[in-house]
Amino acid sequence: MILSPKDKITTPQAAVIVINFILGTGLLTLPRSSTEKVHTPDVWISVILGGAIAIIAGVIMVKLSQQFPEKTFYQYINDIVGKWVGRLLSLVVICYFLTTSGFQLRAMAEVIKYLLLEGTPTWAIIMIFMWVSLYLIIGGINPIARLFEIILPLTVILFLVVTFMSIKIFEIDNLRPVLGEGIIPVLKGVKTTALAFSGPEIMLLLLPFMNQPKKAVKALIVGVSIPLIFYVITVVMVIGALSVDGVVMRTWPTLDLIRSFEISGLIFERFESLLLVVWIMQIFATFTITYYAAALGLAQLSKKSIHPFMFGLLPILYIIAMIPRNINDLFKQGDFVGNMALFLFGLLPLLLLIISRIKGGKYETNT
Amino acid sequence: MKQTHSKIRPLFISLSVFLFLSLTGCWSSHEIEEQSLGIGLAFDKGKQSSIEKKLNEQGGGYSKRNLITATYQFITPLVASSTTKQAGPQQKSYVNVSESGDSFHQMVREISLRSEQPVTAHHMKVVVISESLAKSYKLEQLLDQNFRESEVRPSCLVLISKGRASKTLETKKAGEIPAFRLAGIVENAYRSTRILPPMSHIKVESKIKSGSSFLLQNVLSANGQVKFAGAAVIDGKTHKMTGFLNEEELEGVTWITGKGKGGVVKSFYKETGQLIVYEIETMKSRIIPRVKGNNISFDVNIESVGRLSENWVLSGNTFKNEFLKKAEKSSEKEVKRLVRNVLEKMQKEYKVDVAGFGNRLRIENPKVWKKVKKDWDQTFSETPINYNVKLTINDYGTSGGSKK
Repeated sequence: MILSPKDKITTPQAAVIVINFILGTGLLTLPRSSTEKVHTPDVWISVILGGAIAIIAGVIMVKLSQQFPEKTFYQYINDIVGKWVGRLLSLVVICYFLTTSGFQLRAMAEVIKYLLLEGTPTWAIIMIFMWVSLYLIIGGINPIARLFEIILPLTVILFLVVTFMSIKIFEIDNLRPVLGEGIIPVLKGVKTTALAFSGPEIMLLLLPFMNQPKKAVKALIVGVSIPLIFYVITVVMVIGALSVDGVVMRTWPTLDLIRSFEISGLIFERFESLLLVVWIMQIFATFTITYYAAALGLAQLSKKSIHPFMFGLLPILYIIAMIPRNINDLFKQGDFVGNMALFLFGLLPLLLLIISRIKGGKYETNT
Repeated sequence: MKQTHSKIRPLFISLSVFLFLSLTGCWSSHEIEEQSLGIGLAFDKGKQSSIEKKLNEQGGGYSKRNLITATYQFITPLVASSTTKQAGPQQKSYVNVSESGDSFHQMVREISLRSEQPVTAHHMKVVVISESLAKSYKLEQLLDQNFRESEVRPSCLVLISKGRASKTLETKKAGEIPAFRLAGIVENAYRSTRILPPMSHIKVESKIKSGSSFLLQNVLSANGQVKFAGAAVIDGKTHKMTGFLNEEELEGVTWITGKGKGGVVKSFYKETGQLIVYEIETMKSRIIPRVKGNNISFDVNIESVGRLSENWVLSGNTFKNEFLKKAEKSSEKEVKRLVRNVLEKMQKEYKVDVAGFGNRLRIENPKVWKKVKKDWDQTFSETPINYNVKLTINDYGTSGGSKK
């Protein structure tokens, strides 16, 4: 696939894409999934550590991609490990993006069905979502980046307003003692929280689209730090209000936090709809970018136009989204995606980076 | 490019016309005018209402055990609109419907057989559980359906009634809605130390999960009137109601936790035996756990600033600091009595910790807490507790001097 010169994004846009990719289902489930592992109120420390790990992994991926500033991961992997292994790995990465995509889709449908549109069939919710997303990605990376730029400020404002309103039921005692049982429980949660930051991997594909690939590290660090702040606020507020014991009981703890108070006197008494707006936008962003990444991968593997793949992936995504039979299966699918990410984007880029460094500057003459 | 556009355009036009069809509305829309909004819920020991009995005599009913009677209070649009229009003698603005059975969800659905307007619970404000029920079933079983479903908000309050819970959802005053009345009284915590901080579903659920004992506000009813009176003690192990704190004991708990927002302390002046009333402006309490080896003890430091709001002591001159000091002492003595009173009740009679001593220990000495957590209520009942009360009167209103 040939990139048109118009298909370039600025450094802030790259950061915005990373932010929007990271924020997704985790916003609603992270307080529970991490507290289940940690069992002390120190979850927020785990979140910070997880974020730090995500930044390190992200920097490795960026460094790897910066060796081939003109190519995406799907293209340069062949140069590093050879054609066949490269193709295989590309396919695995594509599978990862597809599964993530399907997982986000289904999680969104489950929450909407539970809280907003009780009688609406799942397929109806999912399909509209997919069509709108298809419409967006047909335009390429630039429209995606611009839409994300619109979504982000809305997310930040609405999310902060809604979360800080819960200060009424916030109790600092629920967050104490800090490190009461030492650092061990905190470390137990780091894997879960680090996975909540899956998203920097998009830098593997984003780099050739950037008009200043040299600033990619900057974009990445900003891109991970903002979700980190979001996650810390979420975890602190949710545990502060619901307590460690309460959080592990709730399927969607962040949503329950907002449902646990009413403020009379303002125009609205209840604010969960605002949170859901933010969340659905974020899910849409995550879904769209992973969908695009998968389509881009297939197009670059087969060296054909991207559009047929975009349409072709629709039914596949739908099937992936419908595979989990119930919500427990869905969460299992989420864990599976997470473990995949751990290998693909935690270990693999480091290996590739080492291999490419050992092989040295061979490629520059090749390309 | 031009050519493809002209081909696509009719397609787009027909598509947009087609999309209009989807604009007709929500997939599962139910008009709000056709719903009855459930606002209050009372759980009692099973006792069929006369209507139910008559229906059953004619062959109604299904296979069930009449263990529980749930009373739903709802506002129907019909009633709501009639109260706003009517100028003459007002009607009741709510409807109570009772159902007996064993499954809460099935009981709600039974109501759909009796009324054309299905009940929705999105606006449920308060759930009242009767003492007899709370003593025989675990709280998490009674409330499970509420915790689980999406309609009842986690902010919905939970109360206990010593009498029949359904009676607290009745009133004789025209235009008054009993469920709103109950939810409104909770907001009055800034007027009295005898109201517990609101216990919503979400707080109850986390308390249950944490395994610590806690209090739920008790409400009494007589003749269509209600009163918040004391609190029910929920045991952390059985999750059943084990005891009851009366109003003064609840006051003592509020002083220990320091969570009161306002209220008064009535005491008798030592020299003359006449009344002095201290009004709380701020209240602060620090529970300090002291651990020495295997011995745990607590110090409770209670501090409060307030005003002299009522003074029957004729000789008392509020312009003189000596009198104010004596008044402070007198009120302090009363607070001490309240605290001592409730500590005795908690440690000796019920053997539960409902004032948050365990929580302080958890925060200050997490390692010790881990050891004693399992049998905390038992350990607590043998723990020595010292308490200090310091009240400061900084104001006596617009009337000063001595009355003599």
